[in-house]
Amino acid sequence: MKNKFLFKAFPLLLLTLFLVFGFSTSSESTKYKCMIQMINYTGEGAYIAISLLDAQGNYQKTLYVQGDDEEWYHDIPEWWSFYGKRRPDIDAITGETIPGGGRAISIIEIENDKINTGYKIRFETAVEDQKYYKDDIEFELTSETIKSKIEGKGFIRYVRMLPQ
Amino acid sequence: MTISIWRYSHLLLAISSSLFLLIASVTGIVLAFEPISDSIKSFHIKGSNDLSVAETIHTLQHHYDEIISFEIDSNNAMIASVITKEGNSETIYVDPTNGGKLGKPIEKATVFKFATNLHRSLFLKSTGRFFVGFVSFILFIIAITGVLLILKRQRSIKRFFFKIEKEYFAQFYHIILGRLLLIPILLIAVTGVYLSLEKFSLLPKSTISHQVSIENSGSTPKIAIKDFDIFKTITLKNVKAIEFPFSDSVEDYFLIKLSDRELIVNQFTGAIISEELYPFVTLASQWSMVLHTGKGNILWSTILLIASCSILFFMYSGFTMTIKRHKKSKLRHSNHNKDESEYIILVGSETGNTFTFATLFANALAAIGKTVFISELNNYSSYRQARHLIIFTSTYGEGEPPTNAKKFEQKFKAIQPINSIQFSVVGLGSLAYPDFCKYALDVNHTLASHPLFTSVLEPYKINNQSFEAFKDWVSIWSSTLKISLHIKQPQKKKKRKNNVFTIIERTPINEDDTFLLRLRTKRTIDFQSGDLFSFSPKEDEIERLYSIGKVNGDILLSIKKHELGICSNYFSKLQKGDTIKAFIKQNSTFHFPNIRKEVIMIANGTGIAPFLGMIASEKNMSNTHLFWGGRTRVSLEIYNDFIKKEQLSSFHTAYSQTQKDKIYVQDLITKEANLISNALKNNGIIMICGSIGMQKEVLHVLETISRKNLNLPLSIFEKKNQIKIDCY
Repeated sequence: MKNKFLFKAFPLLLLTLFLVFGFSTSSESTKYKCMIQMINYTGEGAYIAISLLDAQGNYQKTLYVQGDDEEWYHDIPEWWSFYGKRRPDIDAITGETIPGGGRAISIIEIENDKINTGYKIRFETAVEDQKYYKDDIEFELTSETIKSKIEGKGFIRYVRMLPQ
Repeated sequence: MTISIWRYSHLLLAISSSLFLLIASVTGIVLAFEPISDSIKSFHIKGSNDLSVAETIHTLQHHYDEIISFEIDSNNAMIASVITKEGNSETIYVDPTNGGKLGKPIEKATVFKFATNLHRSLFLKSTGRFFVGFVSFILFIIAITGVLLILKRQRSIKRFFFKIEKEYFAQFYHIILGRLLLIPILLIAVTGVYLSLEKFSLLPKSTISHQVSIENSGSTPKIAIKDFDIFKTITLKNVKAIEFPFSDSVEDYFLIKLSDRELIVNQFTGAIISEELYPFVTLASQWSMVLHTGKGNILWSTILLIASCSILFFMYSGFTMTIKRHKKSKLRHSNHNKDESEYIILVGSETGNTFTFATLFANALAAIGKTVFISELNNYSSYRQARHLIIFTSTYGEGEPPTNAKKFEQKFKAIQPINSIQFSVVGLGSLAYPDFCKYALDVNHTLASHPLFTSVLEPYKINNQSFEAFKDWVSIWSSTLKISLHIKQPQKKKKRKNNVFTIIERTPINEDDTFLLRLRTKRTIDFQSGDLFSFSPKEDEIERLYSIGKVNGDILLSIKKHELGICSNYFSKLQKGDTIKAFIKQNSTFHFPNIRKEVIMIANGTGIAPFLGMIASEKNMSNTHLFWGGRTRVSLEIYNDFIKKEQLSSFHTAYSQTQKDKIYVQDLITKEANLISNALKNNGIIMICGSIGMQKEVLHVLETISRKNLNLPLSIFEKKNQIKIDCY
């Protein structure tokens, strides 16, 4: 009788354990204000994917996407090969494309344990029928870089970040 | 096929771009609904346009933790990117008067996304964009050639919006809509081209580069944002977007985008650090966008919608016209070449209509075993066996030759004919134009001045492609040359449903071989005096038309019996109670005016029938005059019962056989010149019904009166529909 009860309660127990520990693995995170300033170019607005990479350069997470039409996401091939496989819902972290000379400010959220631990942030840019920059901007996340202004190599003139 | 360079380009461009135009206009129709649906769902707050930027920023900053930027959309609603007090980043519609959140931006509907993509790039990215831009340019050229064609047709810019002769539905509305929607279509085309050019960076650089002035860049004296002078003076009405400083570092600033300029404002002192006007290219881009998409303006989007629909109609009607024209101008291959034919027929035609008659005539000649060669006037050449030359030609513009006759004059001078040739010229045109058949007269003159050419007949003019007039000319021509010709009337494909009519009365045949027939039908048919009674006898099934006089709801016909006339003989034998099958054809161009006007009725012989009905009708007759020409006093007797003299202001008769000097109806008119000119001047109507011969004479007299008494050509009044003709 007692055994039977334990047997019955076992899945419930597992579920409880999962609920308690499953979601608490992620540590505290901080919101950052991030401004992207574009260079003056003509043509369509740029698609920009902002991703978190580990020390080896593997994609960990999509932090923000400028450009809301999924049809064109494959124009950012590196990121697409990561994101395109599973396509998690990114509606909450999607903005509009940024035209030449324009700027966009977005709020991105980065877990605190990714700072000063070798993780990197990458800004990939692509403009329809123009070039694609795999690492328009890429830098290691440290408490210094996260407050500074970083120059871009492609369509981005610079990016500035500011903790909230 | 006869085509001018403009018509040819108009058609060729339309055909070559038709597929793309079809896609663009169908998606254009869909997209026209986007601004309409957007503005219906708009979050615009009434009265917010007049708020100053200072007030607005103050309100917003009170309501939110941070403002990143805001913009005013095309429907004057405010979208702001903010960080809420809870620390969340949101892009939302806000109420500028109190900072409250109104809602989230609605995502563009899938159907509009799809249509936009198809509309601007056919899903082909750059290649597609290029195509669409190019097609837009072609549309522009099509519109321009269309304008040129209308100008040619109307003969001057002043007359661009004058009346168009209606030939058939497609032709009429192609031109009418073309004129009405010219401006929207040109704008769509031009802005479309512009927007494409912009995407291909083919326009001069248009971005503003700000020159930051150092002296205004300091952080003192610091004042509150709501006290910035510049923010107090600008109202939201003029603002497109404002970007807030990224941080409170001195190098960050407010970027204000107004409708015509950009300002950079120091975030501490409110001083203007830089002010740059948008270059023309940027403004033109903005305007192109607004004009092409109709954003923010329901009225304009509706016009764009109509214009897009009209492009579909133009494609349909344009192709209908082309097919019609092609069919008409297709020459029946004559069995003979130019050097073995005795009869040479040459045609000058702009639209191909003239070929119909020329072909009928050629077929009639071929049917009696004559050798016939038919061609265009431009192909004029020498003809080894030719004895007869017959020219059918229309006139283009102000007495100019039609396109396929332009080279005739020159060729005629250069080529020496082999034999002496008898010629005859038939002109086709419309009395509504002052240069009626002018080119035909010129050709006749050219031929007549050549020693080897002899004129058989005076040049003959046909108004509005009257088949009766054409038959009349054929009979004159064939009797002059002592040939018996039978013209086969083209069979109308549509079979009309006949009604049964019962004979109520037939008067005895009088000494002019004329009698009256009164018919009635059980069916309720709406008809008026002046409509036509169409009857086709079993023998040849060719339709005959008789003008109707409506008397007490009955149909009154006046018929002259001809010795060999199948129809008139058949009618003359009908007895009371007999029934015949026929139908009534509307003829609205020969109805009595509905508005009270002076009316002058002119008829000879049986042409009086519709007037008898009009006199008998209830319509006010206080100012109506009747002129009638017959053979003798006795001729009038059968009509006497119907001519209520008290209903007429005056009644004038001419009898050609009663006295030594023949008097005709046109002579009466010459006498009453003042009555005529007054009527014309006072917008009165002149109605003419009877024989073609009489029509010619009467028009001649009217022309003389008009020029002499009013100093105006008669065509002015014809244009104003003051002259109504129904002659046979």
